[in-house]
Amino acid sequence: MKRRQILTLVSAVLFFALFNVSMYFVLTRRLSNNFSSATQAQMVDVGSYLPHNEASDLPDIDTGLMLEGELPVLDGAAALVPVYAAVIDTVYPEGCVTFEGGEFSSDNYYGENFAPDSKMQYRNTVRGYQAVVDGTADILFCAAPSEDQKAYAEDRDVELVYVPVGREAFVFFVNSNNPVTGLTTAQVRDIYAGKITDWSEVGGARRAINPVTRLEGSGSQTAMNAFMGDVPIGPKSPFAITGGAIGFSFRYYMDGIVENDGVRMLELNGVYPDADNIRSGDYPIIAEFYAIYRADNDNPNIPVVIDWLLSDDGQRLIEECGYVSVR
Amino acid sequence: MNEKTFMRLLAAIVVLGVAATLIHLAYAVYAYQHCSIIYFIAKELW
Repeated sequence: MKRRQILTLVSAVLFFALFNVSMYFVLTRRLSNNFSSATQAQMVDVGSYLPHNEASDLPDIDTGLMLEGELPVLDGAAALVPVYAAVIDTVYPEGCVTFEGGEFSSDNYYGENFAPDSKMQYRNTVRGYQAVVDGTADILFCAAPSEDQKAYAEDRDVELVYVPVGREAFVFFVNSNNPVTGLTTAQVRDIYAGKITDWSEVGGARRAINPVTRLEGSGSQTAMNAFMGDVPIGPKSPFAITGGAIGFSFRYYMDGIVENDGVRMLELNGVYPDADNIRSGDYPIIAEFYAIYRADNDNPNIPVVIDWLLSDDGQRLIEECGYVSVR
Repeated sequence: MNEKTFMRLLAAIVVLGVAATLIHLAYAVYAYQHCSIIYFIAKELW
């Protein structure tokens, strides 16, 4: 074999090997997926929030209410699992949360095995909105709906009632090693609009910005669309994926549920998103979250649950779950 | 190795390399659409 031939063959093998190894380190190894039970905890570890379970991480609220009769099925977004699980834990009788096969498991596609007759379900935002419209959930705990979710209800002549029960900060975050600690709201809009493309333009390192978006219809993407207003989210360079990313979420989901030390929330307009700054209104992007139900749902316990959520005890539960009350 | 054999070997390496890369890319695109962005950003190299 000629030396030129050997070099050519080795070069070809090395080219593909280096390309794929590089892609693995830059991209693939970071893709922890929600379709694997092993990574469900990245969304929410529902097993830590099971009602009427001594090992659960739920607040202990003393209240005079205990529901009887037709119990509303509660469902919600990942970030609000602790809230509606705590509602069931506090005002629902034991035995109302059931599992297929009798024991809790997080091994199925979506991660949890709530039985069809269980009063607690977990479908997250996109499927949760469909469930409350279709009648398989009675009260949904979620952020404000997307236009598609409003249309889904309107197309079926379903009127939904949205009751604000708590407040939360909409936050932006970066890798904890990114030297940028804060941005202005205008800078964030410019980043997502594609006008600012490098961290050095906002006082950071010389590195491309990778503005990450979420699944359309998710609570955080809907909140992001509302934040952007009339400014469209711009296209980004395919090479931005090698840059330093910025993402968005809700504060307690990041800080209280996922608790990943590899990311850091950013100050916005010089204000850090903590509970005090949400309560005072100093943090610039505060979103309410809602208890949502069909206006024509005649379950008599729906207004009881809603009234209780807005009572002193209910609002204390919201606070003890890590969120900020609406009162 | 004669030139014909060499070209066949090279072609086989290129075909296998392209196929492996396309499978890798397809997985990455699918996984990216379903991944946790918190984990994605936390694992970023700085």
